[in-house]
Amino acid sequence: MIRKLLKPWASLRLTVVLFALSIILIFAGTLAQVHEGIWTVVDKYFRSVVVSIDLQIFAPQDVVKIPGSIWFPGGLTLGVLMFINLIAAHAVRFKLRKKRIGIILTHLGVILLLVGEFVTGIAAKEGNMTIREGETVNFVEDIRSTEIAVIDQSDPVDDLVVIVPEHFIETGETISHGLMPFTIKVTEWMPNSQMLGPMQAPESRKGIADTGIAKDLAAMPLERANGVDGSTVDAPSAYVTLFHGEQRIGSYLLSVYIDQAQMVVVDGRAYWIELRFARTYKPYSLHLMDFKHDLFTGTQMARNFSSDVRLVDEGRNVDREVHIYMNHPLRHAGETFYQASFLRDDSGTVLQVVQNPGWMIPYISCTVVTLGMLLHFGIRLVPTLGRRSK
Amino acid sequence: MKKLQQLLPWIVLVLGIVYAGQKIARPDKIDSKFDLNSFRQIPVSASGRTKPLDTVARNSLMNISGRQSIRTDDGKVSAIEWYIELITNPEESVQREVFRIDHPDVLALIGLDKEKRTRFSFSELLDSGNEINRQAMLASQVKAKARDPFQNAVLVLNQRMMLYSELSQLVNPYLVPPLTTGEDWRSFVTVLNESPNDPDARALLGMLQAYRAGDVEEFNSQLAAFKALVDSQITYDARKSRYEVIFNQAQPFIMASALLVVAFLFGCFGLLLAQLTKPEWSKSMFGSMTASIVVALVVMTIGIASRVYLQGRPPITNLYSSAVFIGWFSVIIGLIIDRQMKIGLGGIMASVIGFGTLIVAHNLGSSGDTMEMMQAVLDSNFWLATHVVVVTIGYSATFFGGFLAIAYVLLGVFTKVLDRERGKSMIKMIYGVICFATVTSFVGTVLGGIWADQSWGRFWGWDAKENGAALIVLWNLLILHARWGGMIRDRGLVNLSIFGNIITAWSWFGTNMLGVGLHSYGFTNSAVFWISIFVLSQLVLMSIGMLPVKIWRSKFAKPAVQPATK
Repeated sequence: MIRKLLKPWASLRLTVVLFALSIILIFAGTLAQVHEGIWTVVDKYFRSVVVSIDLQIFAPQDVVKIPGSIWFPGGLTLGVLMFINLIAAHAVRFKLRKKRIGIILTHLGVILLLVGEFVTGIAAKEGNMTIREGETVNFVEDIRSTEIAVIDQSDPVDDLVVIVPEHFIETGETISHGLMPFTIKVTEWMPNSQMLGPMQAPESRKGIADTGIAKDLAAMPLERANGVDGSTVDAPSAYVTLFHGEQRIGSYLLSVYIDQAQMVVVDGRAYWIELRFARTYKPYSLHLMDFKHDLFTGTQMARNFSSDVRLVDEGRNVDREVHIYMNHPLRHAGETFYQASFLRDDSGTVLQVVQNPGWMIPYISCTVVTLGMLLHFGIRLVPTLGRRSK
Repeated sequence: MKKLQQLLPWIVLVLGIVYAGQKIARPDKIDSKFDLNSFRQIPVSASGRTKPLDTVARNSLMNISGRQSIRTDDGKVSAIEWYIELITNPEESVQREVFRIDHPDVLALIGLDKEKRTRFSFSELLDSGNEINRQAMLASQVKAKARDPFQNAVLVLNQRMMLYSELSQLVNPYLVPPLTTGEDWRSFVTVLNESPNDPDARALLGMLQAYRAGDVEEFNSQLAAFKALVDSQITYDARKSRYEVIFNQAQPFIMASALLVVAFLFGCFGLLLAQLTKPEWSKSMFGSMTASIVVALVVMTIGIASRVYLQGRPPITNLYSSAVFIGWFSVIIGLIIDRQMKIGLGGIMASVIGFGTLIVAHNLGSSGDTMEMMQAVLDSNFWLATHVVVVTIGYSATFFGGFLAIAYVLLGVFTKVLDRERGKSMIKMIYGVICFATVTSFVGTVLGGIWADQSWGRFWGWDAKENGAALIVLWNLLILHARWGGMIRDRGLVNLSIFGNIITAWSWFGTNMLGVGLHSYGFTNSAVFWISIFVLSQLVLMSIGMLPVKIWRSKFAKPAVQPATK
């Protein structure tokens, strides 16, 4: 019964079709990165059930205009189908024989690889820790999403912080919350932007904000970072107008470029507001003692970056100094800290923090596949070659 | 008579070895009373690497003029002669016609569009210097991928003029070695300003003044003194510097290209003679072809080994070296196949792919130092080194399978060479190469993932280059599974393998072009142009391969139906 059910799923024809569809999907997903951010593409193409592929990506816009789009199975669908195809093939067609051991191992590895990418897709978290020299930081920032933080510092021990996540900011609706002393109306949301000084800004962008430390600056929307020009991080900005009841407090320019919170006075009390990359607070902290950045003589090309940090995690009784540098990450509490970037003038470091419970799976699966392929082709190919050379 | 046929391959082998050997062992000397042969070995620092002056002179001249020497009415001027004239006698040197300019609008901008030349002197450009600079400033404000050909050309010209000025003003390269190990290289100008009595700078100054004054003895003695000083000061290995000059002089990859052309000609004669049913001579020609390829392979191996020695890095560090490596590995596969199948095809393939990739490499390397330093993240990692080597082998093998498939189509359709036996053995070859390509491209891609995981914690990031590698693996897998499933037979295998060439070319180059030129690929970017030509040619070959078997000139007794090789 089960065999009968599985049979149509075990076909090699299906395998070939799935390969062909995957090739098209990956090709399209690579071309799409010219116009869209790499993370948008990964979610839209490779981790989706279906994707609508704009035909325009196959030709440059200024040569031919191709309207329309086609629906195509997404990476998740193809991955799951491949998984079923493989399992079914082994259940129906393959028998465990010595000659088959290579193929079976290879396929087992491939199954693991698919599982690994699935686990990474749902469970992996990536973030950044930006630390200036001499500073201590106990949170990780997600540079792919932002939040508005409204901070009340009146309590001498703990700050009261209200967080507005990005999906509320995007809608443009008025945002209010019982703990927030004012309401926020987002007048313009820029997923990626550049910051211009008072002399650089065009007339049309001047004076949108009338309050706060950034009122003389202007933000201009930019296309989202697309991974192929080298810029992979979006720098969002927003113009917001704050109201206390019916009364307008003022318009502010909020941006991740502005690395301090701006003061808002309501009824004589000071609150602070900022747009920042979404934070996750951690039970440990890193203190940056020293950041080093060496260049090759006479060039601007980096020879080496490294960070000397002090890791403190009271819950785990950890207090030690660590040297993090290229290809030599720190692993702590299920997370890995990589030397990723640095701040202007070498004043601080940017560490990439990755939490991926599935990080070992690709290693295992690749070893298994490689072993399997070598066995398979070794068993099959060597005799043929031997025969021919006689 | 028979003797000659048997001897010919050996004669070719000996001649080849002698030709290559004397070029490597006895490099051309510069004919000058001034000891320029020793002058060019002086180590300097440019773009972060310590290298002999010879390399700087050659790369700069190559960048500016597209050649490694200047041709004048009185004969050749070598790069180092050009360089020393530039720094000691700029008044004369600015008259040398070295700037290569092709774009008609740029020529018009300088007012030189009526000239029939393509190379111009610095003094001719000087009057329009401000205008060139202004145009370059305008162009530089446009995003790289939105620039038009004129803007690109003017930027290139401006960069060349800046390089020229830096060289003539002794700002670049850094000529003054570190006094102690802790110090860094400094430019001659900086040292003369900061510490006019620095012994190195004094010696250099004396040397250059002597050259300008035409004082041979003084120049040679100052040079010897300076070299002694440098050798005593820096830890840099003087042998490396000498070796690099020999390497520059021998140009092993150009030598190998020449040998491969010779091999190709032998191979064609061999095929022709086989057609004319002169098996003895045909065999002799194939033997000579193999001999030339073996010499070319040795020369390429020496070249790659030299680069590894000079750089202290794995053999593949950039696109240039990947092209050289693909050529090298294809030649090896070709020789193996040549041994297995004695109809000369492996060798012809080896010479075609080897030559082709060396031409590609030559064009990629024309803008400067091919042994440039690498960004920190790409530096010194076991996984990265093995990844690039293995994945490049995978690319080579996929290409090789594709080219064998092309040979199958061409021989089958246009000649009678492919009988049933040969046809079958070629199919087996193609199949075997694809199996090998599948393993190596998969393992190579995976090693890349491991490196990425070690470097930034992401095994797979779906970026363009990774996807390119994945496409090759998937394509090879598709071919194999379609074959196992009996969905394709011999000709299907052949045609899919030819399509593999397109996928490989795209993964190798296309992905690198996404960033620079997708918007402006209106056939302006020459690399995009050549890729398109290549893709088109492969499609044409595939359609030839799909012609009905009836009109193929090679008659297979029966279109060899093979049961699925499961």
